[in-house]
Parts: sequence; structure tokens; C-alpha cells
Amino acid sequence: MKTIKKITCIALVLLIAVSAVFAGGSSESSAKKTYKVGICQFVQHVALDSATQGFMDALKDALGDSVVFDNQNASGDMSTVTTIVNSLVSNKVDLILANATPPLQVAAAATGDIPILGTSVTDYETALDLKLNNGATGINISGASDLAPLDKQAQMIVELFPGVKNVGLLYCSAEPNSVYQINQMETYLMQMGIKSTRYAFTDSNDVASVTEAACKSADVLYIPTDNTAASCTEAIRNVIEPAKVPVVAGEEGICKGCGVATLTISYYDLGYTTGKMAVEVLKNGADISKMPIQYAANPIKKYNAELCSLLGVKIPSDYTAI
Amino acid sequence: MNIGSLISALPGAIAQGLIWGVMAIGVYLTYKVLDIADLTVDGTMATGGAVCVMMMLNGANLWVALLCAVLAGMIAGLVTGIFHTAMGIPAILAGILTQLSLYSINLAIMGFKANQGINVRNYHLLVSSRNVKVIGPQNPIFVMIIVTALLIGVLYWFFGREIGAALRATGSNEHMSRAQGINVNRCKIIGLMISNGIVALASALFAQYQGAVDVNMGRGGIVIGLAAVIISTVLFGKIFHNFAMKLLGVSLGAVIYYIVIQIVLWLGLNTNLLKLLSALVVAIFLAIPYWKGKLAKGAKNA
Amino acid sequence: MLDLINIQKTFNPNTINEKVALNRVSLHLDDGDFVTMIGGNGAGKSTLLNAIAGVWQVDSGKIIIDGNDITGLSEHKRAPWLGRVFQDPMMGTAATMQIIENLALAKRRGQKRGLKPGVTKAEKDEYRDLLATLGLGLENRITEKVGLLSGGQRQALTLLMATLNKPKLLMLDEHTAALDPRTAEKVLTLSDQIVKENHLMTMMVTHNMKDAIRFGNRLIMMNDGKIILDIRGEEKKNLTVKALMDEFARASGEEITSDKALLS
Repeated sequence: MKTIKKITCIALVLLIAVSAVFAGGSSESSAKKTYKVGICQFVQHVALDSATQGFMDALKDALGDSVVFDNQNASGDMSTVTTIVNSLVSNKVDLILANATPPLQVAAAATGDIPILGTSVTDYETALDLKLNNGATGINISGASDLAPLDKQAQMIVELFPGVKNVGLLYCSAEPNSVYQINQMETYLMQMGIKSTRYAFTDSNDVASVTEAACKSADVLYIPTDNTAASCTEAIRNVIEPAKVPVVAGEEGICKGCGVATLTISYYDLGYTTGKMAVEVLKNGADISKMPIQYAANPIKKYNAELCSLLGVKIPSDYTAI
Repeated sequence: MNIGSLISALPGAIAQGLIWGVMAIGVYLTYKVLDIADLTVDGTMATGGAVCVMMMLNGANLWVALLCAVLAGMIAGLVTGIFHTAMGIPAILAGILTQLSLYSINLAIMGFKANQGINVRNYHLLVSSRNVKVIGPQNPIFVMIIVTALLIGVLYWFFGREIGAALRATGSNEHMSRAQGINVNRCKIIGLMISNGIVALASALFAQYQGAVDVNMGRGGIVIGLAAVIISTVLFGKIFHNFAMKLLGVSLGAVIYYIVIQIVLWLGLNTNLLKLLSALVVAIFLAIPYWKGKLAKGAKNA
Repeated sequence: MLDLINIQKTFNPNTINEKVALNRVSLHLDDGDFVTMIGGNGAGKSTLLNAIAGVWQVDSGKIIIDGNDITGLSEHKRAPWLGRVFQDPMMGTAATMQIIENLALAKRRGQKRGLKPGVTKAEKDEYRDLLATLGLGLENRITEKVGLLSGGQRQALTLLMATLNKPKLLMLDEHTAALDPRTAEKVLTLSDQIVKENHLMTMMVTHNMKDAIRFGNRLIMMNDGKIILDIRGEEKKNLTVKALMDEFARASGEEITSDKALLS
């Protein structure tokens, strides 16, 4: 009896193992094709949420009912990203949206066949350890970059604060996109002959103290599209307001919370652009490996009226109020 | 929700579980054998990957990079050991201090970039999620089974040696160990070095598997490691008595943990609740022996 | 030979809880001396053993074993000269390790531990024979984890571990106090037997006056961190409990109020 149990157990395990390797998601053979699109969003956050929403709307607008989403959020955990991507890949989805850098990298590692579109990723070359050719990756990956033109943002700082002596660059050292933007910003400011100093915090716990330090020596602060800063705008505002140090923000959410002005891109629009790329791949059979990375179109100059009046900042007429 | 999609996702879950199983074995050595709660691992779990990936991107051979990753982990364990023994800092705090320092150090190793990808196309990686369904020696499940078996073999040999016995004695009864002429401080340091070296190995493997190293990839690692240890104690405690089998049980515990996570995902539950659910899973595993005991008592009194 | 020269130890100096535990204690033991130590609670008996063992450093004084000054050495560095059995039966063995592994650990006391096997095949037979002498059936359970043994069995094992390498000084710190009377008697008899067979220089702390008189060739009484009585030879053999109590009152100027001493 014991032997039979043992044999049954082993047979069952082997059966599962074999089917695990060969099984996949169910394949549709009907005339009307339903597209399965998997989304892996790195963390809950206004900008990322908007991007996902924009992406889904674009697909729904173009494909209506024939698109089905599997939308997962990794809550900021790397190993959860791996689990989610594993789920999407093993179910053989038709396309994967990787919302932020870690999902993009994990998806890129997991599959060389399923088309992957990235969004809310600033620097594709570093993230994927490859060189772009005419803006395209040459493999199963493309996407949209949230890189707002940093040279224009540097110009914005000078435009609003012509006498600025030291620009404090405030960011989270753990965010690769922020580091990338700070590097660029530093270069652009230097080209314009303006001194800048870096102030990096490690996580939301030391945002306040690092901001304090920054306010002591800088007359203007710049915050890139930093996820951590975006979730701590209250804390930042509580420091810069009494210190009377204005903040130029990399995106609208941060500006609303603690900034005076921003050259903003709309994450919703970015997501929508990515969604349109997805439609090209799914419906029109475009070759993803040749699709160049798209950038945010039409950055808009915006300002925060309340903080501008509190800090006495004069805003030119071509800015829009948030 | 069809069972086919769950089953097809199992190989990935198993591969990930086996890699974290290596890390859990490292945690087991300090937590159960040496009786030290070592929080260094949250930092070491990123250090190994950082060293391995950066070296490979700079042209180093895979095996050399892996070896250096292990050495880096051992240095981290050494630092914690020194904090604890030579500077009298309580073990938990010593681990936290090292983990804090490792954040900056990991960042520095990665050239002050918080995240660095490594492309499976360009480099010969030992394990990659790309191959999880391939039938052949590149399948990470296959590779990890061999790595785990080798690791268990080496550890089983080591802990049967005189010095291994001294380490076990230190964890079991420090007072008696000193009375037997064992330098317990040195044993603790050696234990921490071995444990963190193993965690760093897991980190290097995981970085290759997921195609990137991220400065935050170790965050919360100690929880996963402990969860695996606890799951294995509850499920296999009564049947695995041999040290080698206990280590195997820990590896299986990690695999079970990741299978459970995969099931949670498959059930369509909101992944925002994933952390809460993980905590519940561990809590239930911890409660099972307690409830069993109560049930037995109840049956007796009835 | 053991020489204790003016050992001084104060706990919590310069505080309300300051206590002079050892007050310029000097003692000389010859090879083969079996000394029993008695005294009220807090007299300094266990403290003296801990001082010799190096659990902490003494404030001043010297500890010399066989001409080796071990005063400055840490606890584990002194272990090669010493064999210790503690009052708590749980303290002397590693519960999560096998009986045979515990014995192997003790055998390597004083040696460098390297990559040689923790327990060799030859040792297994040696230990089996050794355990058989205890008459507790442990020789048939050598791979069992020590945690499964009873207090008396663990204490007997600790005794074996302490005497395996014929230490220069054997220290028994109330080692039967936590055992039931029958087991205590067994362990005491065993201790005496091992000491006699191996001519071990031994210090045994006990609260039991009868046992203090019965065993050993020398008796020391401590009070308030000082040695107040040192009786040996014929005088010790002819001691009675009452005589001892009178001696104590005379030497310390107080009555002994220890219940244990009175009831034994």
C-alpha cells in the first residue's frame, strides 16, 4: 500500500512538472482575436497610476472589447516584480507593459519573444545594458520615456531666478531615473555657468533633514521626477516654506505639493502614447524591435500660484496655473 | 481562473524559491544554529548582486565574479561580527549598523547608480529567468538544484568538523562552550561570515536571474528568509532530523513560500495586499503547531 | 598545585549595591587535594570558583596553576587547566548536540579546533566504554541529543566531560543541588570515585555539611568573602556537623542561620 502511495505521488509530481513546462495560457482559435495585455506596475504612485490609466485607455479606445488586461502592482518589492512577470510570461500574454525600470529589466530577462513596452522609464540604455540604434533597441522592447527636456528645465530655473548663485539638486539616491536626471541637470547648469550642489536622501526617513541642509546653502532647489520626493511633498514644503527657498519640480505632482514651477509632462499622456504603440504592435503587426523610444510631447510650463505668492516669486505670462 | 495558468507559472516560482532558498539557508545558519538574529542580510542581499554584476559588466569571468560576491558577503559578516564581539554592540543592532553602511557601499560599488541592468544576451549568466521553461542544463531550476545540493554537502561536511562542532556548541550553550575552551567570539564571527557569504551568493544569482541589480533588492529579505525557516520547521520539523535534511527543508520552505505567493497572484487578489497576505501566511504557519496542540488537549479532555 | 594570592573582587563598586565578594583571599592547594567548601549564601564560595575560572577578572591578586600565572587570561584560555561542573544541570552540556558530540567537544578542550572530523570512529568506542561506567544506559544512546536526557543524566555527562582530559583542577559548584536525593547521591559517589581514581585536585562547593565532612581531605569554610576555617587530615575526619557549627560561630562571631545547613 505504501509503495502504491509513493508511486502515485511521484507520478503526480512528474505530471505537474511536465505540464508546467509545456503548459501556457489558453490559446484562442476563434475568428475574433482577444488580446491579453499584462501590466506590471512597480509601485503605487500618482504618476505611475496615471501612466497605467493612459495606457489602458489608449488600448480600449482602439480595440474596445477585444483587449483584456492583467494589471498587477508590485508594491515596490523586487522579488514581487519577478513573481508577477513570471505569471505574465508563463501565461503567454500578447504584450507586457512594464511601468518603471525594475519591471522593465525583469521582463527583459524573462522573455525574448513577448513584446515589452516600457513607460515611466527615463534611461533605457542603462536599464537594459544596451545601446539604442536610431532610438530603437533591436530586440523585443520599446516604450516611452518620461524624460522631460532637462535643458529646458535648466533654462526655466535661470528664467525665473536670474540671480541664482547655488542650485540645490534634491533627489533620492536609490532611484536610477533621478540620478540620471541630476547628472544631466548638473551638466546643463554648469554650461550656463551656474553652480549646483547635490543633496541626496536615501528614503522618506531622511527627506526632511537633507532638505534642511540643502536650504542652508542653496537659494533655489530642483527636484527631478523622483518617486520618493513625490510621496513626501508635505515634509519638503514644511522645510522650504519657512526657509523661503523656492523649488522647481520635475513634474506636476511635486510642484503641486511643494514647488513653485515645473516643466511638466503628463504621465497620463505618456501612458496614452505607450498605449498607441501597443496598438501598433498588436493590431497592425509593427515590428517592436524597430520602434524608437518615444518621448513626452509638449511639455508645459506650469506654476503653483499659492507658493509663488508666499515666496514672492514672479511668474512670466506664458505659464499656466496648476 | 484556470488551473493551467497556475501550473504554467510554477517553474518560475520554483526557480525563484530555490534561489531565495540559498539565502534562507544562510539565514538558518545564524538564526537557528548560532542563535543570532542577523539583520545584515538585508544589505548583503544587494551586495552580492552589486559585486557580481559590476564585475561582469567590466569583463570579469562569471565564476570569478561569483567568488568575489561571496567574499564581499563574508566581509560584511566580518564587520557585523566585529561590531558585536569586539565592540560589544548587541547582535541585532550590529546587523542593522552594517546593513545601513552597506546601502552606501552598495551604491558606491554600482558607481552611484541605484540600478544596473545585465543583459542575458550579452553575458554568460549562470541562471536566467529566460530559461525557466527550457528542458536542458540551462534551466535555472536544474542549476539551482545542483547549487543547493553542493551547498548542503559542503555545509554538512563543515559542521561535522571540529570547528563546525565548536560553532554549533556556541549557538547551543555559550557558557559551556567557553568552559570547554572554545573562543565563542571567534566562532560567532566565523558563523556570520559564512552566513553572509551564502546570502551574497544568493544575491548574485538572483541579480543574474532577474537581469538587474537594484540597490533596494535586499529590502525585506530577512523576512523572506525567516518565513522559509519557519515554514520548514513547521512542515518538516518532525520528519527531518539530520542536519543536511534540515537545510534541504529550508530550501523547500522558500520554494513553498514563492508558490504560495504565485497562488495569491493567480487568485486575482489585489497585489497591493500582497505584503499583508505574506504576513498572514507566515502567521498561519506559526499557529499550526499551536492549534494542533490545543486540539489534542481538547480531544483528551472531551 | 593551585595558588590563590590575595584575590580581591568587589561587585558594583562605588554604588549602593557595592559588595566585597572576595576579600584578600589566599589559598594553596597541593596536587591531589580534594577540598570541600561550605558557607552561608553570599559567603563567596561560588564567586571564588568563578574567579579561578575567569568568568570575570579579579580586581587584584594572582591565580597560579602549576606555576602558570593565569590571572590575566580570558575564560576560554584558562579552560585547558580546568574541569567544571555547574549547579544548573542544563549549563554543562549542549542540548542540541549528541551525547557523543558533547564528549568530543570536551576531549578537544585546550586543543586547536580545525578541519579534522568532529568525532572520529575510534572515539565512538572509547566513549561508549566510558559511558558504560556510569551505569545509566547512556552507552546505548550515544547519538541522541542531550536535550532528551534527565537532569541527573546531564550532570553525570558533564562530570565525564569535565574529567575526560584529567584537568589540573576540577571545580564542582554545588553540582548536586538541583538533583533529587537519590540521583544526587549517585552523582556524588561518582564524583568521588573519579577524583580518587585520577588523583584530581578538586574544589567542591556544597551546602550540605554532612557531604562536606564525608568527602575530601580538606574542608574550607567561607564567610563574607574570607576563608575563616581550613581543616584537614585527622581533624577533618573526626568532624561532626555540630562541631562545625560551633567552629563557625567562634570564627565568625555569628550564628549560622542557613536552613540548608541546619536541616542537612
